Amino acid sequence: MIEGRAITRTFAARRGMLGHRGVRALRGVDFTIPDRGAVSFIGESGCGKTTLGRILCGLESFDGGDLIIGDQAMAGLKPRQRAPYHRRIQMIHQDPYSALNPTRTIGQVLAAPLALRARQTGAGRGWLERRRSELLGLVGLDPDYVLPRYPHMLSGGMRQRVVIARALTVDPDVLVADEAVSMIDVSLRLGILQLLRGLRDAVGVSLLFITHDIATARYVGQGGQLYVIYRGSVVEQGDTDTVIQHPAHPYTQCLLSAIPVMRGIELPGPERVVPTGPLDERSEPQGCLFEPRCPFAEQDCGAAPPVLSQLGGTQQSHACLHPARRSVVAVPAPTGAA
Amino acid sequence: MTTTAALTPEQLQRAMRRSRQRTASRWRLFVNTPSRFVSCVILVVFTLMAIAGPYLYPANLPIDPNNIYGPPSLAHPLGTDFEGTDTLALIVTGARYVLLAALIAALITVFIGTAAGLAAGYYPRLAGSTIMQVTDFVLAIPGFPVLLVLSTIWHFSSVLQMGVALGIFGWGGIARAVRAQTLSLRERGFVEAARGLGLPGGHIIRTEMLPNVAPFIGMNLMLQLTGFIYIEIGLFFLGAVPYSTNNWGVMLNNAVFQANAVTSPRALAYLLSPLICILLITLALVTLANAVDEFFNPRLRRI
Amino acid sequence: MAGDTGEATLAGPAGPQEHGPDASAAVRVRDLTVSFPTPDGPLPAVAGVSLDLARGQITGLVGESGSGKSTLALTLLGAVPAPGHVASGSVIIDDVGDVLAMRRPELRQVRGAKIGYVFQASQNSLNPLKPVGKQVLDVGRSHGVRDVRKLLHSARLLIDEMGLDAERVLASYQHELSGGMRQRVGIVLALVLNAHVLILDEPTTALDTLTQASVLDIVRKVHAERRLTTLVISHDMGVVGDLADRMAVMYAGRIVEEGPTAEVLASPKHPYTRGLLTAMPRITGDVAEARPLQGRVPDLASVPRQGCVFRPRCPLADDICASLEPPDTVLGDRRFACHVTAGEAA
Repeated sequence: MIEGRAITRTFAARRGMLGHRGVRALRGVDFTIPDRGAVSFIGESGCGKTTLGRILCGLESFDGGDLIIGDQAMAGLKPRQRAPYHRRIQMIHQDPYSALNPTRTIGQVLAAPLALRARQTGAGRGWLERRRSELLGLVGLDPDYVLPRYPHMLSGGMRQRVVIARALTVDPDVLVADEAVSMIDVSLRLGILQLLRGLRDAVGVSLLFITHDIATARYVGQGGQLYVIYRGSVVEQGDTDTVIQHPAHPYTQCLLSAIPVMRGIELPGPERVVPTGPLDERSEPQGCLFEPRCPFAEQDCGAAPPVLSQLGGTQQSHACLHPARRSVVAVPAPTGAA
Repeated sequence: MTTTAALTPEQLQRAMRRSRQRTASRWRLFVNTPSRFVSCVILVVFTLMAIAGPYLYPANLPIDPNNIYGPPSLAHPLGTDFEGTDTLALIVTGARYVLLAALIAALITVFIGTAAGLAAGYYPRLAGSTIMQVTDFVLAIPGFPVLLVLSTIWHFSSVLQMGVALGIFGWGGIARAVRAQTLSLRERGFVEAARGLGLPGGHIIRTEMLPNVAPFIGMNLMLQLTGFIYIEIGLFFLGAVPYSTNNWGVMLNNAVFQANAVTSPRALAYLLSPLICILLITLALVTLANAVDEFFNPRLRRI
Repeated sequence: MAGDTGEATLAGPAGPQEHGPDASAAVRVRDLTVSFPTPDGPLPAVAGVSLDLARGQITGLVGESGSGKSTLALTLLGAVPAPGHVASGSVIIDDVGDVLAMRRPELRQVRGAKIGYVFQASQNSLNPLKPVGKQVLDVGRSHGVRDVRKLLHSARLLIDEMGLDAERVLASYQHELSGGMRQRVGIVLALVLNAHVLILDEPTTALDTLTQASVLDIVRKVHAERRLTTLVISHDMGVVGDLADRMAVMYAGRIVEEGPTAEVLASPKHPYTRGLLTAMPRITGDVAEARPLQGRVPDLASVPRQGCVFRPRCPLADDICASLEPPDTVLGDRRFACHVTAGEAA
């Protein structure tokens, strides 16, 4: 189990920008990733979700709070000591092409970490080839086809599967998928999403799914928790389906309202919500971070930052002082409405 | 779900054989246009000259006092020099020193420069700044003038000495450039993934970074060769030792200052011979530098 | 019109019948074939495509990578990407003529002034060395616009309509603008000379959800206010489904289905369209019912040369599909090309 407690991260200001205090990417985020569980982080670019994923994998450090992997807190350890823990969390990048070395065949790509593993576990001859083929089968690829090829000879979907197979070579506890399907053709996305979901059962791995596309989170995060992140804080958190069907926080409602509605098969949610203005990254409001753009902001919203609660009797936790139910998600059109 | 039907073992064997054949065809990149083909021919000719040249002629070339600075003729296709020695013989026997020294120098710079650049780029905090300071120091040394001064006390009597002298001062540029490439490669997905998987740094540098920096190094090698040939010729033209009659730079010096070849038509062939050789070699190397870049490009490998 | 030169002949689908008020179409594509040379001979990236862009309507074109949609879009401008060439067909723009028959000078006049093309924001199609205002002036200069002040004024109005600060945007360089802003600037540049046909290539790809929604709103608004004829190309059926009045689905260089959006989505006739709808991650609908499409997205070399191009991935494939390319079946205002579903009840 992975736990994050009040994780904070600020990126230093670039030199020469007078008065610019630096970007507060994460402002005290709490989260839990249970064993074999699924967690989704939803938010727009710049909200800190990618930074959080990278902190989990050990690619970024954090300034405040703590990260607990297994039962070990990371804050007290030196970077070199943390490495074996972070190795249990593997990243699946957005761009499957840059995630694979273009000068190496798939066979070589998978052999390297497996060889390391073989040395560590003292595995016998032939184990490497067997395990390699096994992992490729697990991700739905034909070893004979894929092993001698270079990455540019494979489609985006296949490359992403190779990346997943590579991540599995070290038997991780968690897979972090950061926009893992955004650069893949639409007809192939579902395959990858179902693969990721299937791995939870097949291999016992947990999933952290980071995306701006909430619809994809539905397919991976079933029975799991969904966190909506805005400007480095969690504004809503709860069971995936609950948050999507009954969003409480206006930002979540805006995100869901923005999803395109397909004519003929869907009707728009009647109470769709739009932010009142664009995001201003420099502003540091005293109260709720979303207040400057919130169409429902009230007087007290600007006073102090709201904390997560279940105000209004909601099942999920949210950070809004005046939550209200709004039907924002598209509904299926009655059949025969063509 | 699987994406294609599985291959039988025989089919797999055939596919792999075809892949080896087609990979071998990458070498065809060096001859696939007329200019590249000609360049290859030029380089092969000069390489043979460097290897076999001195064996084709006696150790002491015959002199002919009756035919000083003679014009081209059947017996002497490129004319003769100030002693009446056949210019062609001089060119052929002189090739080895020039080319071999340049090669040694280029290999030294590429080797040191790449190692320094990779280390500085991959370990920016540990080794980076120290290595870069050394590199900057080396870059700041004005190579050519220093060599000229050095030549007064150090007589580059062997090819190896010349090569080392040239190479020692020349690796700064490559180091900087390789470091820059390494720094940017370090942020690429596959390198981050390799680190995350626990692969050791040495392995990452060797197998992940180096093949991606290879095209740059290959091209640089070709261009460094041309640079070093120039420096050598320049040094000898200006009078650095060793003095030997078949040294191309010495030939140029003699042609310009003694035969006044620049102002009179006399000994024109003697002047132009080394010049044209240098020109041909340079053109060939530059043309093929492009091919080297393509050669290392993984996208050109087909199964 | 250039004729085929020794390529494999395809029993291509017939052009659209004169269904509906077709004569008023602002852009008419007829039997367009664009070929690319490959080691196996010339192969078509766009094969026998016929499409009408109805005047005043938004038409959507859905296709994945390798479907030929980008090639088609560029061909509408007469800008076939080299080394491709137009093997046959015509692109007739209303008051302008056949774009493919024009020479460079005429084409340059048409582009920008009659047809506006908006590239993907992530393609960085803005000049990184010039501020936006200068690029607007460039557009004007290349079309011989003399009243520069009026041009900039139009640009300012357009930028205001997009909800941006006109002065700031005109003074900005490309890297100072966010993805959504760059996309909007692209639309401004495409419309600043009052073109009446607007082509948007992947206008929302690589943009966040909220930004995407605002760009779609802007396209709708601008389309309505200027009474444009708009073509939206996207791999995202959701975008096309939301925005377009009519939609066409493209696969392996052919249009496999076309018709009013609501009808096509509510009762898709082509197995590919059906497959895409089932394979699309959506916010509504039962998660368990989603099925990925079998097989791989075809590229130029792996498209079947005979019979239906979708056959390798089609769950309904029949014997006839292997030998004969399906002709268009017309159903009222729609058409689709499938042997098997042609026989279904409407």
